[in-house]
Amino acid sequence: MTAPKKITVTIDGQQCEGTAGQTILDIASAHQIYIPTLCYLKHLSPWGGCRMCIVEVSGSNRLVPSCATPAADGSTVTTNSGRLQGLRKATLELLFSERNHVCPICPMNKGDCDLQNQAYRSGLDHIELPYLYPALPMDVSGRYFGIDHNRCILCTRCVRACEDMEGVHTLDVAYRGQRNLVIVDLNTTFGESTTCTSCGACVASCPTGALFDKSQAFRGKLNSCQTVKTTCTECPVGCGLLVFTKEDRIVEVFGDLESPVSHGHLCRKGRYETWAEPKPRLTQPLIKGQPATWEAALQYLRAAYAKAPHWQTGLLVSPRVTNETAAALVKLADKFERVGVRVAPNEAALCVQPERAEESLKRMENADAFILVGVDLPRHQGVLAAKVRTTVRKHGAKLLIFGCPPSDLDHYAAVTGHAVSLERAFWKKVSDLLLTVRHPVLLYGPEAMSPVGTTVLEKLIKAFELNQVGQPPVLVPVPTSTNSFGAVAAGLEPVEDVADWIADKPLTFLPILVGDEPDGGARWLRDRQVKSLLEQIECVVVQAAYRSPLTDLATVALPAPAWNEKAGTVTNFEGRELPVRPVLPARGRDEAQVWEELLA
Amino acid sequence: MSAKRKVTIGTIWLSGCSGCHMSFLDLDERLVELAQHADILFSPIMDIKFADMPEVDVGIVEGCVNNEDQEHELKKLRSKCKILIALGDCAVMGNVPAMRNQFKLQDCLQRAYVETESTVIGEVPEHPVVPKLLPKARPLQEVVKVDVSVPGCPPDADTIWYALTELLAGRTPKWDERNFKYD
Repeated sequence: MTAPKKITVTIDGQQCEGTAGQTILDIASAHQIYIPTLCYLKHLSPWGGCRMCIVEVSGSNRLVPSCATPAADGSTVTTNSGRLQGLRKATLELLFSERNHVCPICPMNKGDCDLQNQAYRSGLDHIELPYLYPALPMDVSGRYFGIDHNRCILCTRCVRACEDMEGVHTLDVAYRGQRNLVIVDLNTTFGESTTCTSCGACVASCPTGALFDKSQAFRGKLNSCQTVKTTCTECPVGCGLLVFTKEDRIVEVFGDLESPVSHGHLCRKGRYETWAEPKPRLTQPLIKGQPATWEAALQYLRAAYAKAPHWQTGLLVSPRVTNETAAALVKLADKFERVGVRVAPNEAALCVQPERAEESLKRMENADAFILVGVDLPRHQGVLAAKVRTTVRKHGAKLLIFGCPPSDLDHYAAVTGHAVSLERAFWKKVSDLLLTVRHPVLLYGPEAMSPVGTTVLEKLIKAFELNQVGQPPVLVPVPTSTNSFGAVAAGLEPVEDVADWIADKPLTFLPILVGDEPDGGARWLRDRQVKSLLEQIECVVVQAAYRSPLTDLATVALPAPAWNEKAGTVTNFEGRELPVRPVLPARGRDEAQVWEELLA
Repeated sequence: MSAKRKVTIGTIWLSGCSGCHMSFLDLDERLVELAQHADILFSPIMDIKFADMPEVDVGIVEGCVNNEDQEHELKKLRSKCKILIALGDCAVMGNVPAMRNQFKLQDCLQRAYVETESTVIGEVPEHPVVPKLLPKARPLQEVVKVDVSVPGCPPDADTIWYALTELLAGRTPKWDERNFKYD
């Protein structure tokens, strides 16, 4: 591969170096030369529609949008002449007069609005043009966000975020001229949309207050909030979060653009469910359902532990524990007869698979075929689903789906085998499809470790052996539980069937470290018989951040820190150790520390 | 400056919330300094009445033009002053009073006087002494020529002070991101 050609451009009298293909804006910002923008966002495809970034290029009387114009070697660019300033001001006046921008009543007022900031910068103290005052609707039917068309400047950042980041293309622009309107699906509402995944990428991209998060609006200016970068612990992808806080509450959660894993994208779980959904917090220890002090609860536990025979003690852990908590628990393992971490069915075998696909999202971007086996990406790992969708839509990558629950990805699939077929014709079609692919990526989940799943994997490997042109597939194991890789690597024994594990040997003392599972551990009771089995145990201790039927059932329930109160690391599906940082002061005690204290 | 004739100022209040006049009062001790260079001849914050509006050097207007009476008052001030200042977002860009413009006037009146949740029997007031609302609330520059715009909801006392001192010094205020805002 030859190195890209170096070019030199003179911008505002400054000699700037860049590489061929870079836009004028890219080179200018690399040299700290400011060009105002509105519709441009670095991580979205350029559009060149707002005309704020227009520049003069020597030898041409035509002004060009610098965000969408590749710089020509040896050219001279002017970014801030009187003519440009006047035109930019006129552009802003057109935007302000076109719709109903009433700054004092907008949640993005005072610094969070790009349109307002640009107008201040231009010294726009009044609008010469007559205002149009169009009657425009608002849609607040979505669960987490709404759109107020009065404040929309039609920059299409939301449309491009929806297409480029989530790949669902829920948003687009309808009608012509002054009647231009951003619409949802075929002109329905967010509440009724069948394609919107509530990933919130559109809201995070909006330069004005047109798209706004309901939980954020009027609750604090983002530019006056404190920010903490941490890792989402809702699934094993490990996306980077940028959390905005004010006076010890969360104001907003955006994707961290600098995250090496997710590059700024999030799914509904990380973006909203962790903070914009009301959840009953367990704030005080409970003994048999009655509120108690920590001292009383620990006293009770000390006595209960002393009374229980060692061979009848056990400890069950949620796979959401941090690596540090897992390591601390492994050290305490001799205090309990049995210690296990609850994982999804068939996940134990996945945890010991040797592959850890590093930089897998980057590799997914360059893939020309995806093979999904036994995973449910749209439901569990939304950001991976988004990456599959965008790559398939943009580059026409092939998609083959085996043994995955039905989802919107099926629309794009060349092959969908929900119940795996043994027909020869089916597998002939599969190997024909794989015959010419060059950069395949195979994502497989816990279900791929089941007997049916392994049969599929074997057949796929045979199909790939016939492929003479491409590389062997990048194998990406995708667990369902957040930190099952980390917890198992730390030495905790994976437990797939909690009921079997409990019934295996008698138990009189069983702490369950539910941690910050969003349902407070209610899902533990969904497994067959677990409820009745737990009821027979003399002392069940539940450490959870949220109240649930499980904490109500517990002999002793102890508050645990929530996702935003912990410190430590988690291991993501790529085997990457990612930092979890406390965002708010803890309202529960670290699960492992409680036992270190009690059993010391 | 003392040798010169004092500058005369008059202020009026159209469709606005009086916040801009409050902000003007927020000049605090600077009002004393202002009084050394200028006389305020009439203003809603002064207890003084004239049979006819006197001529002034500087006219300051809070609020946008919402009814026939306000349009008349604004045009009168324009004819009596040399420099007209639009003070605050309502005067400069319509702001909240102009939010009615996207609806029909009759619908707004119906909603405000008849359909309000607390209204039992309501009717739209129609009496010769009640000024008639214009079909659209308009910012000042859509009605008369405005010389200086001071945006803000309300503009800070500092912003008002900057505008007045610049004018007193014979300069036009220059706005950039450091010294003005819309909220």
